Amino acid sequence: MDLIQLTEKEERPQAPKPGEVELRFSDRGVKELDYLLTHYPDRKSAMLPALWIAQREYGGNLPAEAVAEVAVRLGRSYAEVEGVATFYTMYHIRHAVGKHVIEVCTCIACALCGAYRIADYLKAKLGVDWGETTPDGTFTLEEVECLDACDRAPVLMVADEYIGPAAEKDVDTLIERLRNTEEPTTVRLADEVTQAQLHKTEQASAQD
Amino acid sequence: MPETRLLLKHSGDPEYRAIAGYMAEGGYVGLKKALTMERQAVIDEVKKSGLRGRGGAGFPTWMKWNSVPKEKTKPHYVLCNADEGEPGTFKDKELMENTPHLMIEGMIIGGYAIQAEVGYVYIRAEFMDCARAIKMAIDEAYENGFLGKNILGSGWDHDIYVHMGAGSYECGEENAMMRSLMGERGMPGLKFPHAPFPTIEGLWNLPTLINNVESFACVPHIVVNGGDWYAMIGASTKNSRGTKIFSVSGHVNKPGNYEIEFGMPLMELLELAGGMKGGELKACVPGGSSVPMINKEQCEKAIIGYEELVEVGTMVGSGGCIFLNEHTCIVTFIWRTTLFYARESCGKCTPCREGSGRLVAALARLRSGDDAQKTAALRDIDELVTVMRSASLCGLGQMAVSPATSALQDFRQAVGAPKGANT
Ligand SMILES: Cc1cc2nc3c(=O)[nH]c(=O)nc-3n(C[C@H](O)[C@H](O)[C@H](O)COP(=O)(O)O)c2cc1C
Ligand code: SF4
Ligand code: FES
Repeated sequence: MDLIQLTEKEERPQAPKPGEVELRFSDRGVKELDYLLTHYPDRKSAMLPALWIAQREYGGNLPAEAVAEVAVRLGRSYAEVEGVATFYTMYHIRHAVGKHVIEVCTCIACALCGAYRIADYLKAKLGVDWGETTPDGTFTLEEVECLDACDRAPVLMVADEYIGPAAEKDVDTLIERLRNTEEPTTVRLADEVTQAQLHKTEQASAQD
Repeated sequence: MPETRLLLKHSGDPEYRAIAGYMAEGGYVGLKKALTMERQAVIDEVKKSGLRGRGGAGFPTWMKWNSVPKEKTKPHYVLCNADEGEPGTFKDKELMENTPHLMIEGMIIGGYAIQAEVGYVYIRAEFMDCARAIKMAIDEAYENGFLGKNILGSGWDHDIYVHMGAGSYECGEENAMMRSLMGERGMPGLKFPHAPFPTIEGLWNLPTLINNVESFACVPHIVVNGGDWYAMIGASTKNSRGTKIFSVSGHVNKPGNYEIEFGMPLMELLELAGGMKGGELKACVPGGSSVPMINKEQCEKAIIGYEELVEVGTMVGSGGCIFLNEHTCIVTFIWRTTLFYARESCGKCTPCREGSGRLVAALARLRSGDDAQKTAALRDIDELVTVMRSASLCGLGQMAVSPATSALQDFRQAVGAPKGANT
């Protein structure tokens, strides 16, 4: 068991050169960002929402191009946006993830209720360790801290769904279900997060 | 004593989540009443109620409300701390999923009392069910004229927006939360006394009122029934009024949220949660992972109240109550708790960034080393505890040491090590 998650596998993405940034947000993404900008007195404050939109638009990850696009759209530097994005664990920037991220809580209440056993089972079943993605790009396994659903310990999480108390058979059903889920749940989560921040009228108008 | 369900009375009833069901049970009566009152009168009601912050520190809520400048020369903001991240706590989650309008109504009343134009709800991104419920409640509040322009003909405008986090425990700390909302890394800046309180200089350096979800959810009840009524609940305690939701987890038969009146013995809370599972009670962390752990004897004496729990050496905290049975290895438990802090340390200040990692390493040696290593580890822990507690910039680093200090005392006697001056 590692004491602290090391980051050697994590490479710093190369920043695109100025002038080479290609803006790829969809029309809807652009409109959503425009509305979100009206929620704050300055542009910088839309940083977290903009990164969520970018994560959706770029297929569930934040490659260097996505960071650059957010920087351009908010009028900030690449380094600043990268610095913010790497602080938060739910932005997939430090390493790329697969279609479905399975988060396993091993924090205190879950640890008391057998989280490490479930974690070992998952690792063996998928053949990957923490932070790794299965070779087919379907699953990424992440160890996370308390998900604040300790009454359901041990808890797993996929996108916006809590699974718990999780036994081995629940893990089996979950994996089976996700294998048959076409749409990447990482993208769906980023979209859900974005939608939750928009008022109904704004949502309707952005979708036109 | 049974539960006293004030906030959670309608939890689990799907109709109550929608505005029609909420209003059928007296919803938004508090807001209507508040809008006919002087702003100061609203704050005075909250003062009479004796409400203290439910996010962890237990700061008197009215004092915060009262310290926002009354002479309005610039924009004011309300920020609802819905970034619940304290291990063991899941009360805000249930409140937002089941009673979203209660919290929104409380926020609007708070906004009125401090003359704010905008309120933000900062929700952790894992809580999508909460976020959807809150978003729906906000939309419904606009449709019914409780938000937007000229609310209920009062001439006062107010907007509320949801702001989602992205995975960081430290963003629950109010200073870090404001930075995060302003589009930065979630690291706190200077704070009082080196910088003014957020109620003077908060978001964008403007007056900002920050309260926890549960604190805001208490407000409609206080306004409708009066502060004096609220202050009768929990009157047996020194200075804790009203109800408090405890999230009970760990080795218990019925983990879940229990809303109790202050003054209840801790052992009765354990009974409500179905008693111990898998063995006798060994220890308890009553208020979330940041508060000191207490042993069985202390549990038996403990009465739930801010001052009362301090008397047995622990705190109410955020109300995340974890019971441990006799088969739990305390050192492993503390090690895992401390590992949480090491991973979540934002890295801004050296005592916490460096200290938390070293504390984890020392606890690992305590867990598996020989006697000499254990004695050395205990010495290291003492030193780290002193430094982190006194020199960390925010509560994360200061509180990260409390599991280690509180629970190691019994262990210390077992290995015959001298008791350090700091514990
Ligand atoms: C490391 C740290 C984490 C915190 N996390 C939370 C949290 O998740 N939710 C919360 O309401 N307060 C949290 N707090 C407390 C807040 O800083 C703040 O005191 C609280 O939101 C104020 O609201 P209240 O007066 O209504 O309790 C945290 C504090 C620290 C030091
Ligand atoms: S105590 Fe820890 S979390 Fe708080 S500012 Fe310092 S490094 Fe960051
Ligand atoms: S410890 Fe796993 S959800 Fe809280």
